[in-house]
Amino acid sequence: MHIKPFQEFAKDKIGVAGLVLILFLFTTAILAPVIAPHDPWDYSASSFQQPSKEHLLGTNDIGYDIFSELLWSLRTSILFGIAVAAITCTLGLVLGVSAALIGGMYDMLVMRLADALLAIPTIMILILIAAYFKPSTTVLIIALSLVLWQTIARGVRAQTLSLKTKLYVKAANNMGAPTSYIMYKHIMPELFPLYAMGFVTKARIAVFMEAGLSFLGIFDPTTKSLGIMMSYAMRYLYLDVWFNWLLPPVFALSLLIVSLGLISYAIEEIFDPRLRRNNATPI
Amino acid sequence: MRNRTMKVVVAYLLTIFILLFLNFLLPRLLPGDAIIAMYSGHEVVMTEAMYAELVRMHGLDLPLHEQFFMYLSELAHGDLGYSYICHASTADLIMGALPWTLLLVGTSFILSAIAGIVLGVESSWRRGGRFDRSLLTFMLLLDGIPSLAIGITALTVFCLYFGWFPSTGAMTPYSGAEGIEHIKDILWHLVLPLATLTLSMIPGDYLLIRNSMMLTIREPYVLTARAKGIKNRRVKYLHAARNAILPFATRIGIRIAYLITGALFIETIFAYPGLGLLTYHAISNRDLPLMQGILTVSVILVLLINIVVDLMYKKIDPRVGYAY
Repeated sequence: MHIKPFQEFAKDKIGVAGLVLILFLFTTAILAPVIAPHDPWDYSASSFQQPSKEHLLGTNDIGYDIFSELLWSLRTSILFGIAVAAITCTLGLVLGVSAALIGGMYDMLVMRLADALLAIPTIMILILIAAYFKPSTTVLIIALSLVLWQTIARGVRAQTLSLKTKLYVKAANNMGAPTSYIMYKHIMPELFPLYAMGFVTKARIAVFMEAGLSFLGIFDPTTKSLGIMMSYAMRYLYLDVWFNWLLPPVFALSLLIVSLGLISYAIEEIFDPRLRRNNATPI
Repeated sequence: MRNRTMKVVVAYLLTIFILLFLNFLLPRLLPGDAIIAMYSGHEVVMTEAMYAELVRMHGLDLPLHEQFFMYLSELAHGDLGYSYICHASTADLIMGALPWTLLLVGTSFILSAIAGIVLGVESSWRRGGRFDRSLLTFMLLLDGIPSLAIGITALTVFCLYFGWFPSTGAMTPYSGAEGIEHIKDILWHLVLPLATLTLSMIPGDYLLIRNSMMLTIREPYVLTARAKGIKNRRVKYLHAARNAILPFATRIGIRIAYLITGALFIETIFAYPGLGLLTYHAISNRDLPLMQGILTVSVILVLLINIVVDLMYKKIDPRVGYAY
């Protein structure tokens, strides 16, 4: 690979902005138990308080401190995003590489399954599964990963197929290198852009899905989640709580998704130099 | 070409298999009992006789393959089950909601496509310039803001704060308005949900078209067209953009799936009486037959659109006929 991804990334203002934002949010989420001024499950405060020194964003309908709730919800979102992205990438990588190497019927089935999953509004599947099983967060993470792997598997498969025909792979093969060695040494590193990109995009979708599904009431209502906060705040709109209760989770969610979007755009640009903004138009 | 047809057919069959698995097999594989699952959480005291009657009605005492044929024949007759929460046939409920969703999703699809294509083409043509850079940054930011957030913000600002637009429904109930007034009323209710859904779709279209235009602009035939002295606008739209929108056409099916997901949230926020709001009610009431029905209808809808796109694709891009 002739691109030095990290140097390129450091030069990209959009990417760096995204990275700074995400690091900030990530630190906040990790430190939530330390920073949060109150226990987010403590409902001893009186309800519907306006923002004050004691309660930075006031309290909600049952006396939870909204600011502490927000920090814990951010934590849920980020953990959910990371977990789904990690499982999805692994799944996509394994299925994509194996489809490319094994070929035949197996390849056909995996890829058509990927096509099918791309066409169905996957959120409907999740809603139905959630309604049948009332699943825990872990099960939902797995279920979401099971319907999101398709784009990664397609990319990985196409790339592996083209790498298989490269001369250096053939050379390694002729010198008697086992398939596992070729995989590990020659193919996997070349696929790095695909999973770097995949990880960020999938984390972004997962964060959105978590907020969306909890907004619709799929998750256990006692967990802290940005979507649950929004859906409860929506019920008390007539009390003028939108400023301190509804907009903070909306803003936090947008910030999280925007920063992931900026990073994914920067990565795409690094690995596909034809898209770079500062390139002068050749015509 | 035969290979391509085969691929498409297998993908459709798998989609239908997933649908059948979710709607037919999964409830029957559940630990416990489908009847209990369906009625649990509702305030129903189940007597022995009621239970036996329900088992007989759903055909759960039959062998599995007979149940399957029963399910298929009901499906073929357009019978999607009965919602015990709403006391209505699921198919009727869905047919009542579907037109609103189609209106919302269809209009939004067209508007966002036009805006995305025009902005993408103009932006790529001025690559690196101020217009391109500021539009790109704006679109990247907009792309990050989830439809949920756009919808909630629009609701608080335009409905609650300014009170310019209605916050619920698709038309004013019992207004008795007819003709032009009625249409105006419907459009009035449509504005905010439509704007939200469209705004959330534009950045994706824009980025796709911009990227594909970047590559098309470098093609020799664009240079030739310019060298011949053809007007810029003609080169942009008739020579370059026509080819640059091909990746857009392939993704129509995927975009429809996105739109339906987006509509789910936006209809819930604005209480717009489409499939999304129906799904939300089904979730809050644990109305399983209704959820299954909505899943079936939305999958069939997406499949039909995909079939149309697939059939048209060879016309749009004749190269696929040779390539496969």
